[in-house]
Amino acid sequence: MFRSTSLRLAALYTAAFAVAVVVLGVITFFSTRETLQEQFDRRVRAESAALAQEYRTEGLNGVVEAVRERDHTPGALRYGLRGPGGVAVAGRLGAAQTPLGWSVVLKPGEPRDEAMRVYAADLPDGYVLLVGDEADRIELLDGALLRGFGWAFAGIVVLGVVGGFALSRDVGRRLAAISGTAEAIIDGVLARRVPVRGSDDDLDRLALTINRMLDRIAGLMESLKQVSSDIAHDLRTPLTRLRNRLESGLADPGERDQALEGALGDLDAILDTFAALLRIAQIEGGARRAGFRPCDLSDVARTVVDAFAPSAEEVGQSLTLVADAPARVEGDPELLTQLLVNLVENALRHAGPSARIEVRTETGEGGPRLVVRDDGPGAPADERGRLMDRFYRLERSRSTPGSGLGLALVAAVAKLHGAEVQLLDAGPGLEARIAFPPAG
Amino acid sequence: MKLLVVEDDRDGAAYLKKALSEAGHVVDVATSGRQGLLLAAGEPYDVVVLDRMLPELDGLAILRTIRAAGVKTPVLLLTALGGIDDRVEGLNAGGDDYLVKPFAFAELLARVNALARRPPPQDTPTELSVADLKVDLLKRTVTRGGQRVELQAREFQLLEYLMRHAGRVVTRTMLLEGVWDFHFDPKTNIVETHMSRLRGKVDRGHGAELIHTVRGAGYILREPD
Repeated sequence: MFRSTSLRLAALYTAAFAVAVVVLGVITFFSTRETLQEQFDRRVRAESAALAQEYRTEGLNGVVEAVRERDHTPGALRYGLRGPGGVAVAGRLGAAQTPLGWSVVLKPGEPRDEAMRVYAADLPDGYVLLVGDEADRIELLDGALLRGFGWAFAGIVVLGVVGGFALSRDVGRRLAAISGTAEAIIDGVLARRVPVRGSDDDLDRLALTINRMLDRIAGLMESLKQVSSDIAHDLRTPLTRLRNRLESGLADPGERDQALEGALGDLDAILDTFAALLRIAQIEGGARRAGFRPCDLSDVARTVVDAFAPSAEEVGQSLTLVADAPARVEGDPELLTQLLVNLVENALRHAGPSARIEVRTETGEGGPRLVVRDDGPGAPADERGRLMDRFYRLERSRSTPGSGLGLALVAAVAKLHGAEVQLLDAGPGLEARIAFPPAG
Repeated sequence: MKLLVVEDDRDGAAYLKKALSEAGHVVDVATSGRQGLLLAAGEPYDVVVLDRMLPELDGLAILRTIRAAGVKTPVLLLTALGGIDDRVEGLNAGGDDYLVKPFAFAELLARVNALARRPPPQDTPTELSVADLKVDLLKRTVTRGGQRVELQAREFQLLEYLMRHAGRVVTRTMLLEGVWDFHFDPKTNIVETHMSRLRGKVDRGHGAELIHTVRGAGYILREPD
């Protein structure tokens, strides 16, 4: 239980608070005491001064009268008048032989002894005026103060302990939910997520962050799993073919050179596929944003069209560029170049002889766009969406060379750039449209 | 030429040694990072072929160490890592060229040759010439036998690249990287097409051909025999 952080914190706070209450109590106690004592003393001296005034105006008899009267009023102070030679003249304090000024007089009495704090002031003609107050009046108040603080102290400790337990149980439960989720994931229940209360407090936000992190990891694992199953499925066929070629080369020495050459070609194709898969996985892993910088889609388009136009012309196709204004995006020029190369090669390969292919960059309110459009046979509407899956190929394209990874890589690069890929019917033909998010 | 191959895979190292020796080079092999570092730092080599992933001391650490020690020998990095960042990291560490495994031996040989006789960086010629073909790098003009040859920008770059590597084989990949800055392999024959256009303008109707195709390897621009 004491290994719970919240409980330890609560205990620490309770202790700190209790110490604060004690310190406050001590300070209040002494300052209250001093103030009260001063007040009591002031009252005594005021009475003493009033009686001295009485003596001056009414004479001895007046004072005697006043002392007697006041001395017998219930709840009032004690009074006395001492004559010359220490003779008690009036009042219960009259017999006290105290020096002038403040002193404490102990008087045996019923039901208990009484201690009096007495102020003695001299009057003319050897008379001494005595005014006193119960000395334990202060102690009675002390008791009340201490009791008050005692209760407050106890209350704080109880509240602190109870609150600490309640807090640590609540926080503990929520932390247990997080660690329970982690344990479940360690045990292989990868879909588990930390429960979220919706209270938007710090623990809730932590839970949301952890869940987002888990989603991300799940995405990466999914992509990794995809790559391994792709490799398993789609590299086996060419590897089998390679094996067959090598076997036939071994069996028939006359065909050896031809078999080896064919095997080398197969091997290169396999390595290409392998490299493309790894590259897609790397891009999907999102590790490439480090290479992002401002670049112009029109520059990319110009380089690619310039590189591929002669090859297109050679087979009677045409490849043209329409790039009127700079189309600036934040991105990785190398990956964007590869994206466009894949789209252009796709069009060159599948749009048929004498196809017209146009590469266009556009700027607009929706953000910059990169468009590759051909007037070939296009793709059926229901299959267009699947073209970007790895290894997916249209039925009629299966005989043409290609790994079926070109558009998957386009999709991966676009996703990395936050861009949307649309494959549209260009009537006739196919239009690939990469819509980048608006700058800013 | 004297070459150092630092490669921990003994079979791979033995194959490289045999093939490079057959191509007329003297080859030392180091199969550990430590040995490679000692040799690269201590002996004068024309080119070092350095595997990036070595046990103990990895290739980039060796590269940084010898560069810090002032060794300027050209280094060709070999790697199984094909990512863009990996290439940039390798070149930043002081590598002169970068080749991803697996590779064709012809590719490696061409790149080693290209590195070995690279002119010092401060030596920047303003004119390149092979036989009667002259390229003025400042005016960006080309003449063959005194006659002006009109080239498009990309064709000029292609010719410049061939001229700078005159007498040596350049591969398709080297051209894609050096002329187009494409660090991936397009499936379209763009190099072949541009090359055939360039040859049409530079070689056609000028007697002896200067640009030759080397089967299974690439192209070479050289003086006629």
